[in-house]
Amino acid sequence: MNEELDSQLSAMFDGELPPAECELLARRLSRDEQLKARWGRYAVIGATIRAEGGVRLNADLARRVSAAITKEPNLAAAHAVRAPSRASINWLRPVAGVGVAAGVAALSIIWMRSQGIDQPVIQQTAVAQEAAPVATDARLVACAGPGCRQPSNGGAVLTPTADSQADGSYVVPKPSGRRSMVGGTELANYVVAHSEFSSPMTRRNLLSALMAGESGTGGTSAGSEEAPEDVYDDAKNPK
Amino acid sequence: MTMPRIRNSDRVGWLVFAMVVATAALADEPAKWLERMNNALTTHNYDGTFTHWHGGRVETLRIIHRVKDGVVSERLVSLDGSGREFIRTGSNLTCYLPDKRTVLVERQPADQSLFGNFPTLNDQTASVYEIKEVERMRLNRRDTHVIVVSPKDEFRYGYRLWIDERTALPQKTQLCDARGHVIEQIVFSELAQTSHIPDIAFKPDVSTDGFQWLRNETPVGKEPAASASIVWNALKLPPGFKMRAHSAQVLPGSTDPVDHVVFTDGMASVSVFVETRPKPAAGQPQTVEEETATVGSSSAYSTVSNGRKVTAVGEVPPATVRFIANSVRAQGGQSTGGAAPSLGNTPAPSMPSSITGGGGAPQPVMGGGGRR
Repeated sequence: MNEELDSQLSAMFDGELPPAECELLARRLSRDEQLKARWGRYAVIGATIRAEGGVRLNADLARRVSAAITKEPNLAAAHAVRAPSRASINWLRPVAGVGVAAGVAALSIIWMRSQGIDQPVIQQTAVAQEAAPVATDARLVACAGPGCRQPSNGGAVLTPTADSQADGSYVVPKPSGRRSMVGGTELANYVVAHSEFSSPMTRRNLLSALMAGESGTGGTSAGSEEAPEDVYDDAKNPK
Repeated sequence: MTMPRIRNSDRVGWLVFAMVVATAALADEPAKWLERMNNALTTHNYDGTFTHWHGGRVETLRIIHRVKDGVVSERLVSLDGSGREFIRTGSNLTCYLPDKRTVLVERQPADQSLFGNFPTLNDQTASVYEIKEVERMRLNRRDTHVIVVSPKDEFRYGYRLWIDERTALPQKTQLCDARGHVIEQIVFSELAQTSHIPDIAFKPDVSTDGFQWLRNETPVGKEPAASASIVWNALKLPPGFKMRAHSAQVLPGSTDPVDHVVFTDGMASVSVFVETRPKPAAGQPQTVEEETATVGSSSAYSTVSNGRKVTAVGEVPPATVRFIANSVRAQGGQSTGGAAPSLGNTPAPSMPSSITGGGGAPQPVMGGGGRR
């Protein structure tokens, strides 16, 4: 655990973290047990020290929180629908991403604030079990818009269109054919300049991609997204 | 603010813990294999053929790498696709793009050695990645150590590396997303260490008749001023990232210098390029333009606002380049290499660096902070 993460957690707890970071942190929270526990401790300690009212969790509240959380996908979807339409000319508009960020962050905060209270373990577990899958669902719902495929089966990932791109869903975006403000040659320049500061292995990968003509702004079509062979559920636990 | 006291004492504990973990991890054998691999890739002579898989496309390439009298020569050729080639000879980088009938030529300063530029594992790396050896196996009739580098958050990718026990060259590498899905893979079918590689091996196959040549030579009168350079830094960085280098460069085909700032977490790096752009005429709405691109598994994000174009490129998820590009600010008036002040709650320590890119000395870029 490092200090930046700590600061981010604090900021998120205080509701001061920008949405983009909330999104990343919330997703991390949803799968990092250690971090969850940490967040929970914040809440407990804070509540105890400052005798903070209103967050004490009782069985009744736990049920209400659970109920609220299980309804949350709709909320997340609503966020996605009325996501801001910024005057962006790009192909990767943050439409779903913003909604997802807000949705997931809200979920995590609701859950974490309640989970942190010193209550019988059994109660916390009940909340946790309901909350965790819901956070995932919310993301999937939010990204089930047009042109969006769920990035779950066998390595298949999103096939974005110019209209919809769930960049927050942590897949590598594929290019679209829209004209861009960074031309292919200019991008090549950036890539070559950047490659000088990459690790030797990454430099080779980067230049290989460049040699293969795989620059996104070139408007190359997306190929099939089947993984070559091994697909690991988790890089930490291969096979 | 919420419970600052508790948090701070707690934080110190975690910091100490993280440092202990970091130190322990770096002393570890798996991390050593990464260092050996980087060392082998940059200092050994080798000639190999490999397949590069990404996004459903497979392409065969050949790489030839030689270090002779301290001069690095490298050639990367696409064998079955675009016919593109990348050739490095010492400080000259040449990129042949026959499909675009273009050749990019970039001359790096002679003192900018390739050896010193790549990210090295630092004390923070172990706090953002888990590095371990998961098995040993035979691959291409070689004994390999399988090293897995798993990200601890979603700001970065993970790696699986099959590193040759004898040569420390990677026989196979995979880049994985947070769920462990492979998004890019390189597998060598042949990889030979060769003591002698002739100069002819670094000549391009491409005929460049009628090609457009783009160079990064600084035109007369455009020499960047040597003082009052604006240093760019990030208000906030993803955990583990630090500024590693900054320079002013002139990229091929351009006459204006670009400020180039590099951030790294020890494994992955992100470059941020800042260019001045004409501001919209008075009366026209100030719009923020942004777009993204990918090159293989690397992400690029570009945004134009307030008379500047900021582009971030790196072998990280799209959200990370976006995050970094949007938090870059001018640290006006400071001299190059000065210590970065702590901004926000994420101090971004500056690693002073005297790298000055192809165009010469750092160039001032007008305008202060503020991105939108």
